[in-house]
Amino acid sequence: MFVSDCRREFYELIVTQRVLLLVASDVDALCACKILQALFQCDHVQYTLVPVAGWQELETAFLEHKDQFKYFVLINCGANVDLLEILQPEEDTLFFVCDSHRPINVVNVYNDTQVKLLVKQDDDLDVPAYDDIFRDEEDEEEESEDESDGSEPSEKRRRFEEEVIERTMKRRERREWEARRREILFDYEQYEYHGTSSAMVMFDLAWIMSKDLNDMLWWAIVGLTDQWVQDKITQMKYVTDIGILQRHVSRHNHRNEDEENSLSIDCMRIAFEYDLRLALYQHWSLYESLCNTSYTSASLKLWSVQGQKRLQEFLADMGLPLKQVKQKFNSMDMSLKENLREMIEESANKFGMKDLRVQTFSIHFGFKNKFSASDIVYATTSLMENIEKEGPETTNFIKALDSLSRGNLDKLHQGLDLAKKQLRAIQQTVASCICTNLVISQGPFLYCSLMEGTPDVKLFSKPVSLCLLSKYLLKSFVCSTKNKRCKLLPLVMAAPMDVEQGTVIMVGIPPETESSDKKNFFGRAFEKAAESTNSRTLHNHFEMSMVPFGSLSWKLRMGPSEIILALPKFMVLQFWCILDSLNWSRQENQEKMGQPKNNLRVQEHNGIQVADKVLKLALYVNILKCQQ
Amino acid sequence: MEPAEVEFLAEKELVTIVPNFSLDRIHLIGGDLGPFNPGLPVEVPVWLAINLKQRQKCRLIPPEWMDVGKLEEIRDQERKEDTFTPMPSPYYMELTKLLLNYASDNIPRADEIRTLVKDTWDTRMAKLRLSADSFVRQQEVHAKLDNLTLMEINTTGTFLTQALDHMYKLRTNLQPGESSHSQDF
Repeated sequence: MFVSDCRREFYELIVTQRVLLLVASDVDALCACKILQALFQCDHVQYTLVPVAGWQELETAFLEHKDQFKYFVLINCGANVDLLEILQPEEDTLFFVCDSHRPINVVNVYNDTQVKLLVKQDDDLDVPAYDDIFRDEEDEEEESEDESDGSEPSEKRRRFEEEVIERTMKRRERREWEARRREILFDYEQYEYHGTSSAMVMFDLAWIMSKDLNDMLWWAIVGLTDQWVQDKITQMKYVTDIGILQRHVSRHNHRNEDEENSLSIDCMRIAFEYDLRLALYQHWSLYESLCNTSYTSASLKLWSVQGQKRLQEFLADMGLPLKQVKQKFNSMDMSLKENLREMIEESANKFGMKDLRVQTFSIHFGFKNKFSASDIVYATTSLMENIEKEGPETTNFIKALDSLSRGNLDKLHQGLDLAKKQLRAIQQTVASCICTNLVISQGPFLYCSLMEGTPDVKLFSKPVSLCLLSKYLLKSFVCSTKNKRCKLLPLVMAAPMDVEQGTVIMVGIPPETESSDKKNFFGRAFEKAAESTNSRTLHNHFEMSMVPFGSLSWKLRMGPSEIILALPKFMVLQFWCILDSLNWSRQENQEKMGQPKNNLRVQEHNGIQVADKVLKLALYVNILKCQQ
Repeated sequence: MEPAEVEFLAEKELVTIVPNFSLDRIHLIGGDLGPFNPGLPVEVPVWLAINLKQRQKCRLIPPEWMDVGKLEEIRDQERKEDTFTPMPSPYYMELTKLLLNYASDNIPRADEIRTLVKDTWDTRMAKLRLSADSFVRQQEVHAKLDNLTLMEINTTGTFLTQALDHMYKLRTNLQPGESSHSQDF
């Protein structure tokens, strides 16, 4: 059920209770969690925080704590599955779900008592009407079978015939209704996408209660920027949300213009900026930043020698000497830095990079500390997915959470260093994949698999890093290939997840289009393929949890919009088989100005078609080669 | 005494706040507080003011003396005189630190205030050192210093008294005492 008044129906209920917070592992969830924690601290609410990375952990956490808590708040997890069925809670447990994943499961929408959704109603939700999906169990056995005595046989027969006709009519109607229901549900659930950031929803709650601070506003900004960095929302939605936040920023930060009464330099200020899209450029050198940002690297094709020359031309066009550009940004000459943004934008337009500037915010406190929102996003992501294990599982999460507070600058700087390493590793991997033609275009999708010996491959065993890598790879591939058909294909990426256990993590990315609506259809495809693979080899009912099979195991995790699947190596082969054999058909959707939209009509073929056998053999050989 | 203890004593000073909640009068051992009404200023001890400010339940109003003009005058006065001038509050240093740490957004021109108070403090500490130095040199027995605050006394107190004790011991050992016998083997 949707909560219309966040304050009365959510906050005032939990302010007197002990609450369990279940927070997903992405930066948007971290920011929402920080805002909620700040509100809880003001009101002395007792809470327990449990980070969850997937549904397996969600279930375990729930089972552990269900006896002690009646109120659960789920942040960025749980909206797109049937919560009650998976978790099987008691009657009086109440779930508050603040999630940006869409589509929201219909059971969650129409359950009045136990599941409350903290979602803004103006998000385009398109939930199907209640009557189309649910129907009371009508007693089909209503027809009395009792023998009524004292009735003539002819009358009985007539009544019986009537009853039979009625029953068949009802059954036919029911079948039609069920067919329509399946179709409606299929259309509703076939694409996965993202709605408003949970951090913004939480900030709204704080604002309604007049407890919003500049700090919370900053976290809301970081949450929104995370959605943009990870390509989860459309450009239009991003710009709209920036407009909303911009109003709040002016409200909180207008005192800085007033010379007389300006705030202490230690106070935090947020400023709106039409800043460059280069990742971490203020904490790095401009040259490194240009090389390691996917937008510039893909447009200039920096993996080739020609690309490097173009980069030199680009810098020369702006009049920036190489020596200056290669040193730390803060040490660049002031005269060069003054008009940097305008200069770069002009030159970028000449080189085909029209969107080099983006609307964003930056934070400023003390004399030394100035960060842009995307810097914080990269730093926090790399802290959270740090592969160096220090202590129990949740330390990385807690460290990332801490780095969002202004007092923990050392953690933030550590995060920035890790982010630089990660971006460099991504660019090198992308360059090597493209140069060695590791991206294979076969059939309905592009496929790339990282071998175990690849440098830095351990960095990509985590979902968000792998997603970033795949997106950059797809962008670069689209810029590098000449094949028009390939440019519109989606990408499926595989990387080794755990060498000992022999699992592989897979990610599916929708195709690159100019005005994509960021809807991902891989969820259903992977589910279907995993189901079939499962049924052929393991003969187990498909469960979204770990299924041990000898010493190898596999698990499915529906994380962000990209679906992540971990498989044992030998099953990858069969998986590709099934994925390939699912019939994909493309339909030109005239309403959307002729943009091709991939529709998935799932019809499994009972065998592999002869015509494709040759192509597929080549694919399998390739996979086998990669697996060795 | 530890500086933390002095700060603890300083937190009993009263300061004005403007709360955004309402609460009836509360009766504590040290006295009554309240009643609290949103938008109406009320005087509370600093410890409560800081706590409420951290929970975003009030807005602090800086004390009258925490103003750039007044502090400049006090600093200049201090620099002119040889002795200590009276300070606006017996806990001026602690109050400045607490209020500027937790409520700097409610205090206009906070950076300048911090600098001015620090200047005044430095001047006073210099005078105190000079005075202690001359006291020890001239082996005075009795000194009187007016207008010192507890924090300033505390910085030199322990050290000065222990140093004087040592000096006394050393001095008594120098003079050949009548009762000092040396032991014969």
